[in-house]
Amino acid sequence: MIEVKYFGAVAEKTKCEFEKLSFSEELSLQKLLQDLNGKYDFESLTFSVAVNQKIVSKTSDYTLQTRDIVALLPPFAGG
Amino acid sequence: MKKSTRYNRQTILPEIGEEGQYKLSKAKVLVIGAGGLGAAVLPYLAGAGVGEIGIVDDDIIDVSNLHRQVIYKTSAVGKSKAEETKTMISELNPEIKVNAFSEKLSGRNVISLFEKYDIIVDATDNIAIKYLINDACLVTNKPMVYGSIFRFQGQVSVFNYQNGPTYRCLYPDENSSVVNCEDAGVIGVSVGIIGMFQANEAIKMILGVGDVLSGKILVYNVLKNEQQKYDFEKSSELEMAKEDFEQKYNSFENQVEEIKFELILDEIENDEVLFLDVRNDDEQPKINLKNGFQIPLMNLENEIRKLNSNQTIYIFCQSGIRSKIAVELLQKHQFKNIKSIAGGALAMKKLLATEINL
Repeated sequence: MIEVKYFGAVAEKTKCEFEKLSFSEELSLQKLLQDLNGKYDFESLTFSVAVNQKIVSKTSDYTLQTRDIVALLPPFAGG
Repeated sequence: MKKSTRYNRQTILPEIGEEGQYKLSKAKVLVIGAGGLGAAVLPYLAGAGVGEIGIVDDDIIDVSNLHRQVIYKTSAVGKSKAEETKTMISELNPEIKVNAFSEKLSGRNVISLFEKYDIIVDATDNIAIKYLINDACLVTNKPMVYGSIFRFQGQVSVFNYQNGPTYRCLYPDENSSVVNCEDAGVIGVSVGIIGMFQANEAIKMILGVGDVLSGKILVYNVLKNEQQKYDFEKSSELEMAKEDFEQKYNSFENQVEEIKFELILDEIENDEVLFLDVRNDDEQPKINLKNGFQIPLMNLENEIRKLNSNQTIYIFCQSGIRSKIAVELLQKHQFKNIKSIAGGALAMKKLLATEINL
């Protein structure tokens, strides 16, 4: 089980601020992002990705571990 | 002469003292944007005794700003934000020097402005200008205090602090981030809180106390009172030399021609020209013109064949940001006579409505 947090315009798209996801096989960060994109269609949105409070490359082949917390952080523009 | 007690309550803090107050009095901070964030940052920097404060904003005060830009009086509606702020904070603290720049920050003025200050505060409200500020901070070697808002959430960070990570290290993807230039809506306290975080970072840097948010982005949710910090690293490919900067901003800006809709109003009857709407299909208000055509910015490159590169094309989006990117893109494909309509559909709708009323 991992937790995915959504912020800003990304959370508008997912209609939730976080969700818990379980996976049976080994799951890479890259695959998770692909799956989420398939589910929510982030296409036009830009965001950075953090794993356990650290921003990482979206193309990282990191294998997600149980209890990892992934966060999708889009830039904000208001002021 | 009796010494003023103006700063007494902060100089009795062991972290500040007379020495800290001296550092504040010698500091020069430039705040870009005197909107919601700036309205929080500016009076606190002035109150604390930051010796020289610059304010850059070419906007004028609108009544719809007042719910969050609380430094302005209702009687100041229609006046320059930079000038009004200067008056307000000079009255708050006449011991400091305040410089108002009622001009738009651009590739042409940014370097000479930044060179005169120690810290740059980004209190702006659009993405493109954040990249400009970031890049100019790299060229001039200044730290950038970043703040921004999305509805009830805010972000704060300090970029390029002692050669630390930059905005591009966090968000390298410049172009796709500007798909939407509509306002998302905001409440005054959210921008106030984030602006206060920015003022705090600036003051900490000046004093050399505490931990600066360098290499970290703070994300704050005002509805939940939750805050989180995310670490990020410097990406080495993102250096910017002065020549790169000049090439990127000054050649780009000289080329993108902006035009006011009122000057081309007659063209809506001209079949020879095309009005190209680069917004998405669902964006309001609709602008229905007989010589109008719509291709959302994201599809523009793929559907470029639908356009004639020799035709005069006026491009618009919601507020005039995406249309500039579209102009740049078409120029790369050898389109010759293209202009971006200043203020976009919002400005056009206003004018079209007036015309009809006449």
